[in-house]
Amino acid sequence: MKARLTLGSLMLAAALLAAAPAAGLAEQHEEVANPDVKCLKCHTKNLKKKLEDGERMSLRVEVGEFEGSAHSVIGCTGCHRDIGKAKHPSREPIASARAYSQAQNENCRHCHEARFTDYEDSIHASLAHEGDAGAPLCSDCHNAHAVQSMAAYEPVTGEPCKTCHESIYEAYSQSVHGLAVTNGNVIRESHVQAPICADCHQAHSVSAVAASDHLKNTCLECHEGASLAHEQWLPNAGMHLDSISCPACHSPMAERRVDLQLYDRLEQVPMGRGDKHQSVREHVAAIDAEGDGLDPVELWKLVRRASRDGDGADVVLRGRMEVTSGVDAHRIAPRGSAVRSCENCHEGNAKAFQNVTVSISKPDGRKQRVSAESKVLSSPISVDSVGGFYAPGGTRIKLLDGVLALAIFGALAIPVGHIALGKIIRKKEKDQ
Amino acid sequence: MTAQTIHHPSHQVQINKVYLHPLPVRIWHWLNALGFLLLIVTGFQIRYVDLFGLMSFEAAVKLHNWVGFGVIANWFLWLFYYMASDKVTNYHPDLDAKDFFDRYFRQVQYYAWGIFTGAERPHRVHPHDKFNPMQKLTYQFVMFISAPVTFLSGLMMWDVQRFAGLIEMAGGIRVVNTIHVFMFILFVFFIIIHAYMGFLGSKPSSHFKEMFTGYEEPHV
Repeated sequence: MKARLTLGSLMLAAALLAAAPAAGLAEQHEEVANPDVKCLKCHTKNLKKKLEDGERMSLRVEVGEFEGSAHSVIGCTGCHRDIGKAKHPSREPIASARAYSQAQNENCRHCHEARFTDYEDSIHASLAHEGDAGAPLCSDCHNAHAVQSMAAYEPVTGEPCKTCHESIYEAYSQSVHGLAVTNGNVIRESHVQAPICADCHQAHSVSAVAASDHLKNTCLECHEGASLAHEQWLPNAGMHLDSISCPACHSPMAERRVDLQLYDRLEQVPMGRGDKHQSVREHVAAIDAEGDGLDPVELWKLVRRASRDGDGADVVLRGRMEVTSGVDAHRIAPRGSAVRSCENCHEGNAKAFQNVTVSISKPDGRKQRVSAESKVLSSPISVDSVGGFYAPGGTRIKLLDGVLALAIFGALAIPVGHIALGKIIRKKEKDQ
Repeated sequence: MTAQTIHHPSHQVQINKVYLHPLPVRIWHWLNALGFLLLIVTGFQIRYVDLFGLMSFEAAVKLHNWVGFGVIANWFLWLFYYMASDKVTNYHPDLDAKDFFDRYFRQVQYYAWGIFTGAERPHRVHPHDKFNPMQKLTYQFVMFISAPVTFLSGLMMWDVQRFAGLIEMAGGIRVVNTIHVFMFILFVFFIIIHAYMGFLGSKPSSHFKEMFTGYEEPHV
């Protein structure tokens, strides 16, 4: 049982007290017992505060929402801790609603330290610190005065992620995962727990999709037999799973690209993570000023430069095939529709290898990309610079095709020449 | 048995037929020939799946891998036979380089001229010295360099993760593949020339017969 009276009854009491001034003593007692009553006296009205950016921020609290929220038990001062310490209403200027929410973010930390630490390490926090006005703060996902317990969320609706990632949610909702959730978690006639957003991306420690292999590992956590199933038919299955993102095959209509990431082979981490290699990042940003994509020589020079300026990093380009958009990444199709034909990638000039980017990691794990010409995958110069990525047939070195043609021509020409020589010599002998 | 005396009907002479190719060598040779032909066909299919439709890429890779292991095993059969046999002298290097290259160029001259004028062969075959200098240098290179390099690079590509350390030492999978393809090109060249040279015996069928019977066909 709650130690406090519910806010609805308090409000009723407050209204009655307001209508009966003679009962002032009783009111004072209520305010001492529950200071929220005092707050709500004003904050149920349509109060607004003028902000420095010219906007007006509503100060109204919907009593019904707050009463039903998980935070009703801690009351107003549970979060607004400084209210009692200074003159209220405060005349302190507030720059913007966003700035106010950012400042209030710190209040969440007091009770939710672990979750807040997760958030601080997330791509959301990283974007927020960068000043991205669209990056979510605590109150963007958890409505400030209507915070619900985790059990109350209905993730099938896609909220709160859908608010910012609507097109991705639409793709997800039509995917094998999304349909399983809406159809009661039935996949291939079995009842399974199909994933919602947070199952793959985590609720608070959302990391940049490109940051690591965590998404592939997340897939394999549920699809335990996937590695073995691939090994049954796919040569070098482990290598394929490492160098091709799952959606590249399991989202069959997706547009694909090859990303060549600058990678420190010594530390086994992408270059650029954690504020390292700033000068290399700057070089990558400036290298393709014409915007026509890196050619094989420029790419080779970039790797040399990254090795020189990489603080001892053993720089290689790690190639990976991925889908080009987050929307495509969520259009996971049923197993039978996945790309199964090797020719899709292993034939010459395969479409999958026409779109190439070169990337370096940003400190938060996102990738800073620059486009490259598709011939960087089939140039002899790339034997050195793109040594770690090769798809037989698909990215074959064209120069070797020429050498092979020359070898066959030469091998056939030698017998023809030898036979002709024999005829000439024999004729000469005969003539003599 | 190293020689067989036969009666040559047209020349009314007794000719000693030298036993050049023991049975294990002949088995190895023809298995190797079949294996290499299959590897070349499947290799073409893997590399040029957009140009050839003999089989699917997947089938070509699987066949290439299985045949590859067969050819490697066969190479060891060849190696163990020669290591355990006194015939290993056929592959011994010639330490007198000047003498060797003198004989090498005499052999070149023979193929370029003498063979058409009925000149005597500069190299007399013997079970322990059956290769002429051109053959010897070529087979030493093919058997001790090209084949092992091709096998090793093929193994690395067969299981990239198992051989990740070696691949990294070599400079990456693209380097390994380039070496493998370069060896593939050498073998395509070698097999065409090798097959043609097979016709340059005393009769066009002589060398082919030798590789089935083991006995050198008479040069008359």
